[in-house]
Amino acid sequence: MSSVEFRKDLFNDERDDNLQEIGKPTRRQDILGHVTGRSPYYDDHLFDGLLHMRCVRSPHHHARIRSIDTGMAERMPGVIRVVLARDVPNNLNTLLSLINFGKDEEKLIQDTKVAYIGEPVAAIIAETDRQARDACAAVKVDYEVLNHVLDPEEALSSDAPVVNEIYPNNTFDYHDLYDHQKLRFGDVEKGFAEADHIVEGEYQMSPIEQAPIETCGAIAAPETNDRYVCYTSTQALFFSLGTTAKLLNMASSRLHFIGGTVGGGFGGKVDSIVEPLSVLGAVLTGRPVKFMWDRTEEMQVGAPRGAERWRIKDGVARDGRILARAFTGFFDAGAYTRLSSYAIIKCSAHLPGPYTIPNVASNVFCVFTNRTPATAMRGFGITGVDFAIECHMDKVAETVGLNPIELRILNAYRDGDMKPHRRLAKNTALIECCQVAAQKSGWSIGADATRQSSLLGGGGARAEIPETVTDSAGRIGERRRAPVPTAPGEGAASKGHVRAGTQGIPIVAAAPQDEDMVIDPARTGYRGPSSTPTRIPDAAMTPDHSLQPAAAAAAPPPASRPGPVAPPSSSQYQQAKPPPPAAQMAPEPPAAQPPAVPQQPASQPYKPEKPFSRGVNRPGVSRFLSGSRRR
Amino acid sequence: MVTITTVETLQDAAANKGQGTAFLGGGTLLMRGVNYGDQNVSRIVRLRQPESLAGVSSEGERVRLGACATMATILKSADVAFLHAVARAVGGPAIRNMATVGGNVFAPHPYGDFAVALLALDAKLRMSDGSELELERLLAARETETRLIESVSAMRPAGDDFRFLKVTRVKPRGASVLSIAAWLPRRAGRISGARVAFGAMAPTPVRTPAVEAALEGVSLDQNGIDRALQSVANDLNPPDDSLASGWYRKEVAPVHLKRLLLGQGTR
Repeated sequence: MSSVEFRKDLFNDERDDNLQEIGKPTRRQDILGHVTGRSPYYDDHLFDGLLHMRCVRSPHHHARIRSIDTGMAERMPGVIRVVLARDVPNNLNTLLSLINFGKDEEKLIQDTKVAYIGEPVAAIIAETDRQARDACAAVKVDYEVLNHVLDPEEALSSDAPVVNEIYPNNTFDYHDLYDHQKLRFGDVEKGFAEADHIVEGEYQMSPIEQAPIETCGAIAAPETNDRYVCYTSTQALFFSLGTTAKLLNMASSRLHFIGGTVGGGFGGKVDSIVEPLSVLGAVLTGRPVKFMWDRTEEMQVGAPRGAERWRIKDGVARDGRILARAFTGFFDAGAYTRLSSYAIIKCSAHLPGPYTIPNVASNVFCVFTNRTPATAMRGFGITGVDFAIECHMDKVAETVGLNPIELRILNAYRDGDMKPHRRLAKNTALIECCQVAAQKSGWSIGADATRQSSLLGGGGARAEIPETVTDSAGRIGERRRAPVPTAPGEGAASKGHVRAGTQGIPIVAAAPQDEDMVIDPARTGYRGPSSTPTRIPDAAMTPDHSLQPAAAAAAPPPASRPGPVAPPSSSQYQQAKPPPPAAQMAPEPPAAQPPAVPQQPASQPYKPEKPFSRGVNRPGVSRFLSGSRRR
Repeated sequence: MVTITTVETLQDAAANKGQGTAFLGGGTLLMRGVNYGDQNVSRIVRLRQPESLAGVSSEGERVRLGACATMATILKSADVAFLHAVARAVGGPAIRNMATVGGNVFAPHPYGDFAVALLALDAKLRMSDGSELELERLLAARETETRLIESVSAMRPAGDDFRFLKVTRVKPRGASVLSIAAWLPRRAGRISGARVAFGAMAPTPVRTPAVEAALEGVSLDQNGIDRALQSVANDLNPPDDSLASGWYRKEVAPVHLKRLLLGQGTR
């Protein structure tokens, strides 16, 4: 069941999907509040005795902290409290730990090493914003400046400085196996050999700041019954609540989070940095505390859409058909993961763009550099590579001497085609888009291109999964020992094969870290997908000598493809107690493309040293949700 | 804490100068800084009635602008029509209602486009102690200047002798990538005594002596201005900032100067 169907199932009575809006004037639902100045923002809430929090931030890209001297700051007028790393109860987190994806690796306040300019090393709570600023300026931090790395490919070299000690190879670990996300579909080498032209290109984009008019911020205050209320600008209220509960080691039932109007989010208000700090301030002082970024902070430490670099290699037939396409992608995550790891999973499911190409391969790297951590922004994970793909399509059109719109229609995906991540394409409309764009812009296309339709010509042989060549180059840590080429298939000692028609390596979500996180259908009212992932029979895999079979990025098969039910026993927990089927659903947001789990993991999956939060201890209910969901 | 002191005269205000003290003109830069916690400001001095220093008047071949005259005041005065394009290039309507002539002279890079025009028009300042001072001399030492400006007198150019161009990334009212003001008096079709000033190409608005010298005696056509365009790089060493690198500014400065001198793309 795709995420869209999942949504329809759960929210069927809340939203009308029969939209008839195009071409009609529609009033935004929030516009009356905006134009009359009545939309309430978090900063519109007034509190008696409000305190202000500001951060002392790193002036260096990369430096070890020798000492922090707050003596003078503590004695300054108006200063109520200096907050250091030791005041944060559980000072290590990664945002996606809430869905069991990635290792805890970022501190709310640093005490050992800073890895980007603006990383917080202390926070000051004072009577006024100005007093807090003056006290921040009086904090003396002794830094030992370290070498830094700002380019993702330089960060991959074996002698690059270690940005993030939890990931000593400067890359996010995918599936406990590779230092990048692999996607393999067919055999690109064969496609290149059959092609008349090889077209190569390199494309890159810089980070983009979401630049909301309302900067990120939150006000937290003690409430009755030992609870804390937090008014926040967040665009992901329960994400922020869960993150706060974890970092502060506090039951989520003690947190009363109130969102509301977001003064511009665009992806820049999901990182949940301001809420934990303001609630911590309220806990430490017993008074209302506001933590609001100023414009400089929003631009300097507000996580942007990360920089990306892409190399695309196409094998193209004389008539314009693209026979093979290989991608090498680098996402600059900055110093910490935030959401970049997930962007790459989503991106890999999108490749090779809205085209049906019989042979596709990609290696996408989530690289740590000493830059501001990157996070979500509109079209997250897709926008950068789409820019590269469409530039490259023009280059291909030029090479083969075809009208660029006709080239796109020729290669467009159609309903029923198999995408490389092994989902059937549906609701495709690229052809119609191209036709309308050509018509509106007065760009002439041939009669044949005009006759094409996304509804026709798809499926059949185009719905088949080809025999797929795999490799296991680029295992975690390999690049630290010696240079390994980054392009797909290069640097592999040997190749493996996955038989045609096979889904690939079965996928299940990472096992729940704690027993009470297993979703209980009886309580949630949701029974999960109607079928479970296919397991490849061992006979289907040609062993790749002594190496693990390479993971082809593959999603659970569509519901119409029934398969054996047994998920791989890849964790002790699952061996001890098989979870109900619903546990195999990866929670949102990466539900569309959960990570591949190797058939025989080299080691046990990552598990944090201590479970987080003391949330509501009720079976079937997330620790981070204090209320119960609708049933 | 920021304290506010209100005084009756400019002389009182000047007497209040000191560490952490700032004089409030239109407040478009000062109050933005204060709202964002500018730690250099702990005391603001303001005039009770700035209107007395907000006049615009004609003085023979010159015009006199009160230091507290706003960009909106300039735009309303027919006496200074030649400065309307310059005033309109400063901020949006809300900024122009507040931003003052005197404040513009002290506006840090990349702001201060109005001062660029004043510099080209041979502006002379009347200071709070009654002395006269050339704008150029004040700009060279404005970081340490403790006097305040009472009024500014600038030349009134003839015909289309005065030209101004502001180059921005954001249209129509971004901060300057660069701005250029040129006063080009002509005798028998040839330039005589040109003054050319650049904004956002140095820490303060600056004149370009090599360009001015290269324009002496030439006619305003492609051949005539060639040497002046080549001289631009000799006079300027622009800074990097978030709007443009110094390299970029230096590369495009001759292009924009050419457009200004040949009347292409002036506003």
